[in-house]
Amino acid sequence: MRTPVRTPRNASRADDEVAAPKSTQRLPIWVNQRLGLLVLTVALATLFGILRPAFLDQRLVLFPLLRDISTLTVVALAQMVALSVGHMNLAVGRMASFGALCAGFGYDRLGLPLQLGLLLCLFAGAVIGALTGWIIARTGVGSFVVTLAMDFALLGLVSLLYSALTENAAFTTRPSGLMDLRSTSLADICIGRVCGSPAVPQLAQFTVLALAGLGFLYTCTRMGRELLLTGANPAAAELSGIPTGRRILLAHTLSGLLAALAGFMAAVGTGTFRASIGNDFMLPSFLGAVLGGTLLTGGIVSVLGALLGTSLVGVIRKGLDLLGVGMESLNIYLGCVLLLALSADRVRTVVSYRKVVRSA
Amino acid sequence: MSEVLLECREIVKVFPGVRALDGVGLRLTAGSVHALLGENGAGKSTLIKVLTGVHPPDAGHLTWRGEQVHLRTPLEATRTGIGVVHQERNLIPGFSVAENITLQNPPSRHGLVDRQAMNAPALRCLEELGLDLDPHRLVRELSVAQQQLVEIAKALHTQSEVLLLDEPTASLSPQEAENLFQVVRRLTARNTCVVFVSHKLEEVFAISDTVTVLRDGRSVLESAPLADHTHDDIVNLMVGRAHTAAKMLPRTPEPTSVPVLALDGICTARGHQDVSLAVRPGEIVGLYGLVGAGRSELVKAVLGLDRVTGGEIRVDGTPARIASPRQALHEFGIGYLTENRKEEGVFLEQPIHRNITVTVWKKLARALGVVSSAEERSVAQNLVERLGIRASGLDQNAGELSGGNQQKVSLAKWLAADTRLLIVDEPTVGVDVRTKHVFHELLWELARTGLPILLISSDLTEVITLADRVLVMADHRIRGEVGNDHHYERMSGRIIRLIHDRAPSAVSAQQDAK
Repeated sequence: MRTPVRTPRNASRADDEVAAPKSTQRLPIWVNQRLGLLVLTVALATLFGILRPAFLDQRLVLFPLLRDISTLTVVALAQMVALSVGHMNLAVGRMASFGALCAGFGYDRLGLPLQLGLLLCLFAGAVIGALTGWIIARTGVGSFVVTLAMDFALLGLVSLLYSALTENAAFTTRPSGLMDLRSTSLADICIGRVCGSPAVPQLAQFTVLALAGLGFLYTCTRMGRELLLTGANPAAAELSGIPTGRRILLAHTLSGLLAALAGFMAAVGTGTFRASIGNDFMLPSFLGAVLGGTLLTGGIVSVLGALLGTSLVGVIRKGLDLLGVGMESLNIYLGCVLLLALSADRVRTVVSYRKVVRSA
Repeated sequence: MSEVLLECREIVKVFPGVRALDGVGLRLTAGSVHALLGENGAGKSTLIKVLTGVHPPDAGHLTWRGEQVHLRTPLEATRTGIGVVHQERNLIPGFSVAENITLQNPPSRHGLVDRQAMNAPALRCLEELGLDLDPHRLVRELSVAQQQLVEIAKALHTQSEVLLLDEPTASLSPQEAENLFQVVRRLTARNTCVVFVSHKLEEVFAISDTVTVLRDGRSVLESAPLADHTHDDIVNLMVGRAHTAAKMLPRTPEPTSVPVLALDGICTARGHQDVSLAVRPGEIVGLYGLVGAGRSELVKAVLGLDRVTGGEIRVDGTPARIASPRQALHEFGIGYLTENRKEEGVFLEQPIHRNITVTVWKKLARALGVVSSAEERSVAQNLVERLGIRASGLDQNAGELSGGNQQKVSLAKWLAADTRLLIVDEPTVGVDVRTKHVFHELLWELARTGLPILLISSDLTEVITLADRVLVMADHRIRGEVGNDHHYERMSGRIIRLIHDRAPSAVSAQQDAK
């Protein structure tokens, strides 16, 4: 570190010229999280498959596994959108349960068809997300506090509404098509004689849509870029003419909408609309997003990473479960994975900082 | 009589892109007041940070009473006997005066802090300074001046023999400043060395014994007796850098054309009173003032980030209400290059092309708000070439560039937006001399092509090199205007006089009021 410091100015300039092209090299490959995640997930799946051949059973293991992954990926995306503007959504699970409540209400009381109920659910999620975003943008109170408060408020509201509106604290009316959505897989959709895999649930279509939509938003559009820059540096974004308040509102609206979608998917997966939906969403939402390479401080997201991160967690959970690891110890492993994921975040920051210092 | 306490020789400190200190020497003797002078960016703050162990020097020696020392942390500096009172307050607002004074070495009993035993040493320190303060009071209830004195008391408690005061009078009233000087005299009487950093030369001459002048990271006058030098000598030493004759093509702004931006009697919630100025096409108007004069705050209020309480803003002759920087950019074509590059200017962890095109996405966007990546890159590539930004590629993160190149990226964003007026705030702070020249030429050329520029700067050379007219601001008011003849000595004299004339006139105004 000392040598470049003592070289005279001209010499260090020359060094810079030489060093400059070098820094085009991105971070070393082991820091590239997405590739690592893919390799790790495939390797673990193979390992579990060898140890317990039952792991590769398409209908009994992979189908429910992929259904869980589909749902949790949407949850991770909901968190990712909030993280993209440098915020958090601690109410992601409760927004999901609120969305599911609205869908269930629509089916049970209003007799809505499947699609309209889903729309009602998404609308409710978007509204509650927009309200959260509006409070944050308007008051300047941190997203942590506001979403935490929102979480508590919704926790009370949702259970209150369920006990007021239903007898067993759950909506059990199922519109036509809901059970199909729950259990059909690609195997049921055939083009001529070629059928899809029975392991891929039809619910995954929502996840694919969400992934495609967000991928488009963040890579191709002005909105997406502005969301990221708002997250990267709110003060600079404001001075550069980005309507930061509106972008924050947009991020939270999207986050609420995706959370509600996840709530709907979870309800479809279990077949009933009850208050407990979304109870266990918060930790996986961060886990999936951060493992995937989304920066907790905002400005960098990875849509595909959210899918890969969630998949890894899903595979580990299912595999250990099949190996007979108890629920409690399973959580210990998951805690460790989260810690590793957060450390990876830090490692990347440190590595890129060192690069800055070296190049200077 | 005087024993040398702290001496440093050939101190070098390098930051990414800048050689902040380049062979600085300093000798501090007991029982004297030593003035440390220099323009903004000359290296005063860096030197203070080196002396207090915040930044380890990259080369050079520090000796304490003749023995070489290495100060690696602020705590080591404190233990050695070097205390510092920074420009901004460093007290814990929720703690009492006594707790703050004894913070670094609180009296304890059985491992627990003994609150009763705090008061005696705290009172002793306060008494030594001649202060009548209740040690139980919470610091947040005190005035800024009182807090500053508490910090000095804190330094006494750690038995500082060298006390560094960084711009201690910046936020004090004349009366409070006088109190402070009495404290300084008491301190020197008990053989402490006080290092006094200030922009106000009158104060320096009133209380200092010796002086060191820094310029561009070098000491141009080293620990010399102040009595040997006149006011003008010192000013010349501070600012008189070798003037490379700028070979820039002449500009001819038309003094009669309609101003692109005109402020008329603007008052703001931040305390600006009756500020009027006008910037015409092709003109560079300098807004000179010391740090804290309220220049950036004025611009932020004009851009809608703060409340304008009176007066009128006119853009192209028509009254305008600007509610946000967004509206300023998209509706009125006003760009603001902030002084605070790292916090408000660039997105450090975003690629260069995004940093540059952020202001034009709205223009580039097609149906569904799709921004073509290719178009974006071509806009960015053009500007990178035009401004000579040295980067490995458009995908490099802005934070990986040197300070000067970051500043160019920050400027490129406004050139991309093709603004009709550019407000440039301290464009060359923390930028080395070479890049500074490049920047000056760039701004000059921009103005020559008709772009009006409002140049905010506390760098006299910069203002005199570039501006057509110089407005001098102090205490949130415009103190006067000087037409620039680009003659350095004449201009600097006039400008500095405008600033320093203020003190007596303010005092007389107060007396009139009584």
